[in-house]
Amino acid sequence: MLSFLFFSISRAWQGFWRNAAMSLAATATMTLMLLLLAGFWIIQAGFLASLTYVEDKVGVVADLHDNIKDADRLDVMARLSAMPEVRSVEYISKDEALQRYREERAAQGQDDLTSFLPTNPLPASLEVKLRKPEDYRTVAGLLEIEPVVAKVQNIEDTTDRLVQITTFLRTFGVLLLAVIGAIVLFIVINTIRLAVLGRAEEIEVMRLVGASDAFIRWPFVFEGALVGLLGAAISLGVLVGAAEPLSRFMVGFFQILPINVGSISRDVTLLVVGAGTGLGVVGAWVSVRTYLIR
Amino acid sequence: MLPTGTGASLSTILTALRSPDARLDAPVDTGHPAGLSAANGYGFVDTRRPVLVLNDVTKTYPNGRDALKDVDLVVPEGDFVFLVGASGAGKSTLMKLLIRDELATQGTVILDGDDMARLPRRKVPMVRRKIGIVFQDFKLLPTKTVRENIAFALEVTGTSRRRIRPAVERALALVGLTAQAEQYPKQLSGGEQQRTAIARALVHDPKIVIADEPTGNLDPLISWEILQLLLRINELGVTVLMATHDADIVTALRKRVVALEEGRVIRDEIGGGYHRAG
Repeated sequence: MLSFLFFSISRAWQGFWRNAAMSLAATATMTLMLLLLAGFWIIQAGFLASLTYVEDKVGVVADLHDNIKDADRLDVMARLSAMPEVRSVEYISKDEALQRYREERAAQGQDDLTSFLPTNPLPASLEVKLRKPEDYRTVAGLLEIEPVVAKVQNIEDTTDRLVQITTFLRTFGVLLLAVIGAIVLFIVINTIRLAVLGRAEEIEVMRLVGASDAFIRWPFVFEGALVGLLGAAISLGVLVGAAEPLSRFMVGFFQILPINVGSISRDVTLLVVGAGTGLGVVGAWVSVRTYLIR
Repeated sequence: MLPTGTGASLSTILTALRSPDARLDAPVDTGHPAGLSAANGYGFVDTRRPVLVLNDVTKTYPNGRDALKDVDLVVPEGDFVFLVGASGAGKSTLMKLLIRDELATQGTVILDGDDMARLPRRKVPMVRRKIGIVFQDFKLLPTKTVRENIAFALEVTGTSRRRIRPAVERALALVGLTAQAEQYPKQLSGGEQQRTAIARALVHDPKIVIADEPTGNLDPLISWEILQLLLRINELGVTVLMATHDADIVTALRKRVVALEEGRVIRDEIGGGYHRAG
């Protein structure tokens, strides 16, 4: 068993280098395909993070009556916080509301006219952040019947549209990734098939001198794995090299996104190594099988 | 029906082979060569063990063409047989049946006691190790040296390195290529390439060497050289079955000749020429 393993691996190594042109062409294709896959995976991850970021912005804002008791307000806030749909509840007092308004005006470069007003016209409010924008109606409906609430700001239509768009974009992203995956699968397996086809004579000689199927198959399978691992190593090298300048360029963008660089690089590493090895092995297995079934 | 009338004795052999207590390696009355007995007028019992038996073999390809039709053939151990016939007569199909590249549509093909039709797929490699195959186009691997090409046949059948080295040396010496062992096929002449292929066919000590037009790509002088080599191998006790177009060689050697025409055996005689005598 051990000697068979040794035989297969040494034959795979020999086969790889004695047919260097074909092997390197297959490795190059493998590398490009893995980069394509990894690239789309990263874009998809950023894309999903952007969607989540936008969805997090959806919340229910309820204006409160003036002069309500703090106890009543705290009671409502406690009940809201206990709801599974609610991520957080924030109280904006009248003063804070005015402060924000002034900052917004200043940011837009417009004159602040509120200082001419005798009293603060802005209501205090509760800002409820939701876990999912789909729950907007439920939470808004509950708030509307609370006595402390004067009015729930209606953004129902906007929320519906947003949910529609993000659902569409998510589905589209998954489909796109699936299509890219299928293309990569097809191209890599065909490349390996060509490499094996180039050695049909070797396989035929092996069959004729009485090599068993295992002795014919496994060297090719290991060779496929070698092509996959080598392609994965080169791809990861390119990705690591590109990560530094790319992240410096996108640092501002990524900072606001709830994106976990650590988990993404772990996923991409697993994806590239797994897909590379898997495609190499499957490609070789399928290609050699054609010659063994007789 | 065959002019040689070997059909009756064939069924005797097969009955013997199929009976439960039959020893496949026991000498069997093959009744061959009936052609000879008919010619010289006295009975002849061949006590040699048959290494190859075809009984009433028909091979029909999916397109409906009969490549072989009712073929009966017994080759005893140590025989040297020429298989002759025009292109498309069925020589290649016959060879394919022997190495179990194809299965017979009807009839039985038995090689060294193994019935090809009943052989499980995983046992096919074991049967092929009893056969040495030589082709017209040599089928050497261009990326391997002469020595590696010969050793390849043993490596891929799981032979230990310890046993490969002496076997390869012996095969190299037998075909006279010890000096060229480290060269690549493209550095060799056609004759040397075919000798390499013969060494590869011999390295695992086959019972039978099947040569498909081994001199087809070689000029007459080199062809003779290859034939001398095959005769020497035959003298060492290896059965040789050689398909050929080369009328000069067949006629000159006066060995057993099996002639195929349109898938049928039309002649099977010892000491025959390429063309029917008379």
